[in-house]
Amino acid sequence: MSAHAAVPQKTRTAPARAPAGFPFSFYRYRNYVAFAATSVFMAIGCVGLLEGLHALGKGPEAWNAWLAEMARPGALALSLVVLAFTLYFVFRFGWVGRKIGAGRVGPVPRPPLPLPVLGVAPVGGFVTLWLILLAILGGVLL
Amino acid sequence: MKLIHKLEPLWWILFGAGGFTACFFLPALLLGVLILAPTGALGDGLAYERAHALASSFVGKAFLGAVLILILWHCAHHLRHLMLDLLGHSVAAFAAFASYGLALAGTVATVAIVAAL
Repeated sequence: MSAHAAVPQKTRTAPARAPAGFPFSFYRYRNYVAFAATSVFMAIGCVGLLEGLHALGKGPEAWNAWLAEMARPGALALSLVVLAFTLYFVFRFGWVGRKIGAGRVGPVPRPPLPLPVLGVAPVGGFVTLWLILLAILGGVLL
Repeated sequence: MKLIHKLEPLWWILFGAGGFTACFFLPALLLGVLILAPTGALGDGLAYERAHALASSFVGKAFLGAVLILILWHCAHHLRHLMLDLLGHSVAAFAAFASYGLALAGTVATVAIVAAL
């Protein structure tokens, strides 16, 4: 049998291994891990919101007690950390999103805008929505 | 684990939808409800009667339920991959069942809490 007629063997892949110095020795690794860690803080934020809703469902005394509990320095500090990680997630998500706009899909032409402008657009949209939601929560709208 | 791998498209859909939902709404909810309302910076905006009226309306319940549930599933998928990256594939089954299990528990809790408003 000639070499050309031989059935090629399935290529075996090497076992997965972390790159050297992963996860903290290089800034791109650190950014990657910090982005993934946002999930932990965003989940903590969701639990905080659920606690608030639970208190809201129990009546005015429970709601006011929960607000007083959340106004303590430790709780406020945790809320600020949660917000900081959430904002890091949002800005990184929006910044990566600009590359989707810059890509070409089939015959659709590339948009005639520079890449940084494409990054500002989604973040600007997010901030606009936050202002509307904050206006609703603050009683300015609705 | 076979079922977890078979459902991979579902996990990614929930991850993407939850990511967008978090970008759209989570910072304002965290800032408004967890920081500004407790410090009194929102005035009477989230006083009990108004907060309850907003949250217990049909739109309010649907909004809060959808936002919280989608973000929880997004976090679960991200957390699963964080565990795989930091601890290796030997913890794959634990990472999947722990993270999705927590998201499922969070979903049940969210539905129960929002329905009781």
